[in-house]
Amino acid sequence: MKRIEVDPPTSDSRRERIERNVLNQLAQLRSAERADAAVPVAPPSNRRAWMFAGLGAAAAAAVILVISTKGSEHVPVTPIAEDTTPSRIVTPVGGESQFTVGDAVIVAASDTSVDVKRADDGGITLVVARGAVDCDVAPRNQRPPFHVIAGDVSVEVVGTRFTVARTPSPRVDVVRGKVRVRAPGGTWLLGAGDSWQPPVTGSGVEPVTTVAVASEEPAVAPAPPPPPPVEAPRPVFNAHQQYQLAQKLEATDVVRAAKTYRLVANTRDAWAAPALYGLAELDAKIDVTRGLADCNEYLRRFAKSAQAEDVSWLRTEILRSAGRRDEARVAATDYLRQWPQGSYAGIARRIASPP
Amino acid sequence: MSRLEDVGLSIVERPTPEDEAELVAACLAGDVAAQRALFRREFARVNATIYRILGPTREVDDLVQETFIAAFRGLARFRGEARLATWIDRIAVRVALDHVRTRRPAPAPFGLIEELIDGSVPDAQAHARDGLRRLYAALSQLSAEQRIAFALYAIDGRSIAEVAKLVGTTTVTAKLRIWRARRELMKSAAQDPVLKELL
Repeated sequence: MKRIEVDPPTSDSRRERIERNVLNQLAQLRSAERADAAVPVAPPSNRRAWMFAGLGAAAAAAVILVISTKGSEHVPVTPIAEDTTPSRIVTPVGGESQFTVGDAVIVAASDTSVDVKRADDGGITLVVARGAVDCDVAPRNQRPPFHVIAGDVSVEVVGTRFTVARTPSPRVDVVRGKVRVRAPGGTWLLGAGDSWQPPVTGSGVEPVTTVAVASEEPAVAPAPPPPPPVEAPRPVFNAHQQYQLAQKLEATDVVRAAKTYRLVANTRDAWAAPALYGLAELDAKIDVTRGLADCNEYLRRFAKSAQAEDVSWLRTEILRSAGRRDEARVAATDYLRQWPQGSYAGIARRIASPP
Repeated sequence: MSRLEDVGLSIVERPTPEDEAELVAACLAGDVAAQRALFRREFARVNATIYRILGPTREVDDLVQETFIAAFRGLARFRGEARLATWIDRIAVRVALDHVRTRRPAPAPFGLIEELIDGSVPDAQAHARDGLRRLYAALSQLSAEQRIAFALYAIDGRSIAEVAKLVGTTTVTAKLRIWRARRELMKSAAQDPVLKELL
């Protein structure tokens, strides 16, 4: 059989673009990992202490549960073995704990107590006594059911990643996929990005987005005095999620994408720098002046970041694409002054050299 | 005797395992320069492999990118049992296979094809463009496994053993897939002289 000659495209600009994208994504992933690592974790010895305390509480059941004692990394740990007795996971204040149950990866937040129950049919139920759990669960199509119960709120997984908090007030946040929430007053199907809190009794508020705090008091006589009005908690701002949302919006709603990038860029979160970079690239397509202003802001605020070189080069590219050759030459010279051996040094020299 | 440089050649040392290990370690430590170096070392081959499997579609760039992200993220699992290049090629093939299995490739944009045949005379360009379009249209009718095996062997120039290693199967199965793919392509070519010429 003769070989069919198909030669791939070899342009430098294409390679540079792909390289930039790959390194950007890696930088963003590193930022996210750093942000994760910044979550306070109890020292190993303390963690062991509470683990054994938790085991002690359920000693009679001979709980077969191992919890990671590794410092700052989230490492999947030995799954709970086949067991139909409840296992209890208790995390200390300031610590967190990651464990797996079947195909689900669970992170119990600080000061959380959660019981894990496995039914005969393989179904898994987490009962959150206090605190919050973050669950990453595979779609349940053919798999045994997965439920999380927090007080009188029950969450059934359709296939998703989500967080269920019981304290200070019940709350469900869905990162991806779908969950079905059952609580007094109805059943709600939540999709990615939705948050749910129980509605104020009798308010009739649609519960898909954040609403007022519900009373957790059991309905028993005598009737308690009416609770003082409670201010609705503000939705938790998650910079990483907002950043991902902005990336998705780029394809459908550029204006909203830019606003979302800006929202994240204005924070001090680890995602502020990637967001400002994303904004610069986006703005440059619409308005050169704004794109350049974003680049300058980036270089001022994040001069030592891993992407500073790319942003400096982006400034040159924006000017070159806009036909502002003299300014592009100055920008290329500026780039070379800072990164004489940089990734774009070759092309920068060509641009910087007099015509 | 003329020096190599005088005739535009230079000696490029093939990296020793030690060099690779150092490069991998530096990448794992988050060294951006090392990541850049690794990307540049492997880009041309990964790009060529994915392009030859998929043909000139806009998705090639995304898949090349996806391959490298997957490679960098999984680098901790690279144990040095195979060459790094082979390990990355396997990731590229898996990425391409997943893509072919789940999505129908978009039709080839002209720009990419023109870049492909840059420098040819206009008639030959049009002919080559037409041939490529027919080839990849015919390939898209094959099963994902046959298409990948055939593209790796007949377009990317890999040996049967390499194809088997990259797709994770035996040489017998790889050979069978290539043979079946060719048989199907020849059926299409029987009605299509341009494709027949290419095959």
